[in-house]
Amino acid sequence: MNLVRSELTKLRTTSTWWVFTLIMIPLWALAVLYNWGSSYATQQASTASDVPADQAEVVQVAGEAINVATTLYTSGQFLGVLLVMLLGAIIVTNEFFHQTATTTFLVSPHRERVILAKLITAVLVGLLFWLVTTVLNLIAVPFVLDALNVPVQLGEAGVWRAVGLNALAFALWAIVGVGAGVLIRSQLGATLTLSLGYVIGTMGASLVFFLLAEYVAEWFEKLQVLVPTTASALMISGTELPGNPPRWVGAAVLIGYALVTGLLGTAIMKRRDIS
Amino acid sequence: MDRPRSATLITRTSPKGVSVTVGQTSPGSEEIVVRNLTKHYKQLRAVDDLSFTVRSGRVTGFLGPNGAGKTTTLRMLLNLVTPTSGTATIGGQRYLELDQPIRHVGAVLEASSAHRGRTGVNHLRVICAAAGLPRERADEALALVGLTPAAKRKFKGYSLGMKQRLGIAAAMLGDPRVLILDEPANGLDPEGIRWMRDLLKALAAEGRTILVSSHLLSEMQQLADDVVIVAAGKLVRQGPVDEVLGSMGAAVQVRVRTPDPAKLTTALAAFQPSITPLPDGALLVTGMETAAIGHAAFTASVELHELTGERADLEQVFLQLTAGKAGIR
Repeated sequence: MNLVRSELTKLRTTSTWWVFTLIMIPLWALAVLYNWGSSYATQQASTASDVPADQAEVVQVAGEAINVATTLYTSGQFLGVLLVMLLGAIIVTNEFFHQTATTTFLVSPHRERVILAKLITAVLVGLLFWLVTTVLNLIAVPFVLDALNVPVQLGEAGVWRAVGLNALAFALWAIVGVGAGVLIRSQLGATLTLSLGYVIGTMGASLVFFLLAEYVAEWFEKLQVLVPTTASALMISGTELPGNPPRWVGAAVLIGYALVTGLLGTAIMKRRDIS
Repeated sequence: MDRPRSATLITRTSPKGVSVTVGQTSPGSEEIVVRNLTKHYKQLRAVDDLSFTVRSGRVTGFLGPNGAGKTTTLRMLLNLVTPTSGTATIGGQRYLELDQPIRHVGAVLEASSAHRGRTGVNHLRVICAAAGLPRERADEALALVGLTPAAKRKFKGYSLGMKQRLGIAAAMLGDPRVLILDEPANGLDPEGIRWMRDLLKALAAEGRTILVSSHLLSEMQQLADDVVIVAAGKLVRQGPVDEVLGSMGAAVQVRVRTPDPAKLTTALAAFQPSITPLPDGALLVTGMETAAIGHAAFTASVELHELTGERADLEQVFLQLTAGKAGIR
């Protein structure tokens, strides 16, 4: 556990953590506003009559009070996990960017222990980010729900389950980040690839799956959960959404990604020549 | 946990007048043994069947032209690069097998190996945390290298010399018995070089094993007790500095001045020396003793105005030994 302590010291003694916190707060505020707006739109739609019949059911369920609440109480997930993933990657790429990998592996030549320490550190940081956004949500969201004329619902098990699964999502994305950092050694390369891949990849994948479902076979839509962002979004829905896989599938998919990147990263790091 | 094997602490004063504390420990044999070490990259044999031994209590200079495989060898010794074949051990164990390696081996590899935005003392504390050393070791090591005034400054504000000192401080954190330094004199000013020479000699006098790679040959001549010379990934020569220099007696250079260089060159041709014209009109002859040149000139009736033998130094020996093996591979 000395290594985890060392990793936390590394993180604490540079400006990275507070830069990320500074980025996090406005993004969170933006997310709350966005969710507020979209919840309002859903509310309007679910009471309107011009929604196509096949979508009506989904809109109806999404407009239920519990789902409005879970969406809002987990505000900031989409961009929050992106930041946590980036931070996880930077924990690794930093070592190459600043050539500190040499020192790190001299102190601990058993590299798998170093990677494990980095995974644990990234998860801890991910959970910290989750904690911060959750506390902020618990303070701000009741006012938003009030404005939407939806009950606060802090007594609902569904809300707390969503908040809990959101923590899991943050932790798993942190692991994916560390793995990705090993695979893409360049700091700039990793940051750009992950951010662009995350945002554009999510949109691109939705489009691809939409087209596949539309023109090839409808069951392709069910595979959309394989897109990691869809998987983590699925985990935090308040109730089962019609036409979507159950929540545990989202968790399983994300755990799969975390395992693959984490293990692959460790295996690669063990073999790599540090020069 | 306390530092291991620290019997007493002595205090010395460096040339700058900075108080220096060095852990003194009982002498033990922690030799570095490299056996048939080989590293192939895709198109390059960076290190090619290299074997040598580094003894304790001495400073060993690891010499070779750029690209000779020095850094790769040191990195294989430290488990940073995986050898294609062969072994490298420290005190009989591979680096990976050492328990708490930085308490046995200290290494200084690149001058710029710290996060730019981290302060010097925090850089050392990160290492202390990972190695389970007390935080105070960071301050002690900074004092050892005279960096205490810059402890809380960020690494990006350090001069090259300060970066080297920080690297040495990091290597000394675990009070190791073996010290490995890759081109440590790079970027040091003359005073810094002298400081480091004194420090390394003092550490070797305490029985530690010191391996220093360098291309600064005149510096090595003053610092090293033994030398290991490599070129193109292969061992060229190994042994005490005096022995290596002595074995090159024939390589003594002789300055000759004559009004008729062409005639002298013809007269010496039978001995096949290497003759280089110097800018001042004299000739530099290698491969012949002064007496032989004088005799040849006398026999051929060549007038001589100057005949001076110059003692071989490490640089000449080095250039001669590695001639034709250096260069870009």
